[in-house]
Amino acid sequence: MTRVTAKLIRQARSISPYLPPLLPANRSINQALLELKWIKCELPKNEWRKAVNKRLKWVPLQYILKTQPFGNLNILCKDGVLIPRWETEEWCMKLANLIKGLKLEKLSMIDACTGTGCISLLINDELKSTATNLDIHGFDVSGKAYDLAKENNEFHHLSVNFHLGDVFDEEILDKLQLTDVNLITSNPPYIPEEDYNKSVLLNGVSKSVKLHEPKLALVGNGEFYYNLLYNLVFPSSADGFVFELGYKEQADLVNEVAKLNGWRVGYMKDSAEKIRCVLGWKADGKFKSLKDLCSYVY
Amino acid sequence: MITKILKFKSSFINLVRFNRYNSSTNILHPSELPQLHPLLIKRVDILKNDLQNLSIKLESQYNEEIQTNYDKISSILSKYEEFNSVRSEITELYNITDSELIKDATMEITNLQPKYTDLIKELNYHLIPPIKFAEKPCIIEMHPGVGGSEAALFTFDLLQMYINFCHFKKWKFTIISMNKNSSGFINEAILSIDEPGSYDTIRFESGVHRVQRIPETETKGRVHTSTAAVVVLPKISEGNESTLVEDEKFFKPNEIRIEYMRASGKGGQHVNTTDSAVRIVHLPTGIIVKQQDERSQPRNKAKAFALLRSKLAEIERIEEINFQKSIRNEQVSTTDRSDKIRTYNYPQNRITDHRCNFSLHDIDGCMKGNKLIEIINKLKEDDYKTRLRQLIGDYSTK
Ligand SMILES: C[S@@+](CC[C@H](N)C(=O)[O-])C[C@H]1O[C@@H](n2cnc3c(N)ncnc32)[C@H](O)[C@@H]1O
Repeated sequence: MTRVTAKLIRQARSISPYLPPLLPANRSINQALLELKWIKCELPKNEWRKAVNKRLKWVPLQYILKTQPFGNLNILCKDGVLIPRWETEEWCMKLANLIKGLKLEKLSMIDACTGTGCISLLINDELKSTATNLDIHGFDVSGKAYDLAKENNEFHHLSVNFHLGDVFDEEILDKLQLTDVNLITSNPPYIPEEDYNKSVLLNGVSKSVKLHEPKLALVGNGEFYYNLLYNLVFPSSADGFVFELGYKEQADLVNEVAKLNGWRVGYMKDSAEKIRCVLGWKADGKFKSLKDLCSYVY
Repeated sequence: MITKILKFKSSFINLVRFNRYNSSTNILHPSELPQLHPLLIKRVDILKNDLQNLSIKLESQYNEEIQTNYDKISSILSKYEEFNSVRSEITELYNITDSELIKDATMEITNLQPKYTDLIKELNYHLIPPIKFAEKPCIIEMHPGVGGSEAALFTFDLLQMYINFCHFKKWKFTIISMNKNSSGFINEAILSIDEPGSYDTIRFESGVHRVQRIPETETKGRVHTSTAAVVVLPKISEGNESTLVEDEKFFKPNEIRIEYMRASGKGGQHVNTTDSAVRIVHLPTGIIVKQQDERSQPRNKAKAFALLRSKLAEIERIEEINFQKSIRNEQVSTTDRSDKIRTYNYPQNRITDHRCNFSLHDIDGCMKGNKLIEIINKLKEDDYKTRLRQLIGDYSTK
């Protein structure tokens, strides 16, 4: 990361007057040029100035352009709802390919903490032209997320059922009237409060995330995984789960709790070699091949 | 006695011919018409044999590739049949001596002659063994060479020239990526031309292009010389999400290293970076491809994989050519990427291609896309001659 110096700003201005405001969030002319290109491609000319000025205030580019590519989808993004991350996209594609290979008769899936709905929508999209019957649900506690997820569903002509719901609600399964479930996914808030307040250099969150993405979508820890297991995985007939996470301790906790209930557990890393998901399956259940996605099995 | 008759016959022919000239048409004696090279006629037999083999294969199992190949060969062969029948028609018509019919016959020959010439042109082109990947679309990679910012501007001009050429040919194209350096000058442009077979036309553009002109920034009016390097690759894969799976499978896991240009830190929910660049290192060759233009990381990855496959295909093609040359004991020309192939001299309004010593005196027409074909056709002609010579060489050593 280069520092934004007066020289860098001068250099940027000589290329384009729109470029300097993009420097703080990007740190390099190269990346700023790319963002400018995307802004110019996706927005009408009279919005360019406003767009770069928003970016100067660290507004995520995804909110400015109102979308984020996610697999073959272009997920609509709005203020107040977390932007889908490439790490999520990556494991989600792997999961979709794995499910395709299983050639299930039916997939009943719940995506908890669904946000934009990206996980459930991508699975739906990837499997819609297969023989598998799909019954996919997503829920979130945030009204903004619920609205946006429904909008995304319509925008992509998909058939996920979205609901308002709380992971901490012990009766959530009954309320959603979903008992016949075989797969649970979730990307719950997983940043511990103390890290949320640290700088990005010390495992904290970046300025743009902190200033503009909802804290509700970010701050959380073991309690989410605990409740996902007790309120969704164990009471349902699920025989597979995939939860995104950011810390090894979170995977360890899931393993501790789930193995006592007869589950096999492993974790998977993303392509940046960071621990990214904890996966669970029944030893001889439909989803035992989730094991193949793991870099480590407990 | 026989000679007498022959003599008589030939003078008779001359007479007929004289008559025909009198009727102010321009027809040639069949023996004066252009002929197919005997080696190309030999190729017809080889193709007939190939066709038979393919049809046997197709009987046992349908395969799209074999079918396309089959169709291609049979269309060449039917062209050849057509050519033969046109030729014998012309000969027959020519031999008509009945004075009442001569006029009609002459008319008929006048009609058939252009057809004959067209057919022979096509056969000349199709009967020679095709170059590898001739049927593919192509990718053009351009980099500025010596000359600083002027070289970058010239690189951009070349990109524009190829785009204009696509418009002229009505070919679809996409700019795969265009990177600028920190001064805002282009340092790489990659253009994809999605027309099947465009590789066979554009491949002559590979090499160093040199420009001589007064840069806009030059205050003293001096002519500068700068260069840009152009590499033309056959397009093997579409490079989108649906081809990605197959492209990834094409490589063994230990053959490639995929790198994501990401800042350190926790990743995931902690950051919302827009950096989706992907870099692939092909370990056996050391080739590195990088893509960053798309907001979607999988799309960048798909494009990078496609580019890598194109680069490897081009290497494979060149190696094959060199191998065949070494069989023929010919000098193996290491396609020297520093060889200047063409000079664009603005003050003289002249583009000279050094490979075929051809000059076009219309820079603007070339840059606007409609005159480039004149240079390419010249190169194609030369290339054809070389390939025919090689074919002859191959036969004579056998
Ligand atoms: C990290 S975001 C993930 C969003 C989306 N699944 C994705 O991967 O982009 C976490 C989501 O959990 C939701 N959430 C927070 N607390 C929740 C709770 N108690 N019950 C259900 N959802 C909750 C937030 O509103 C947010 O949308």
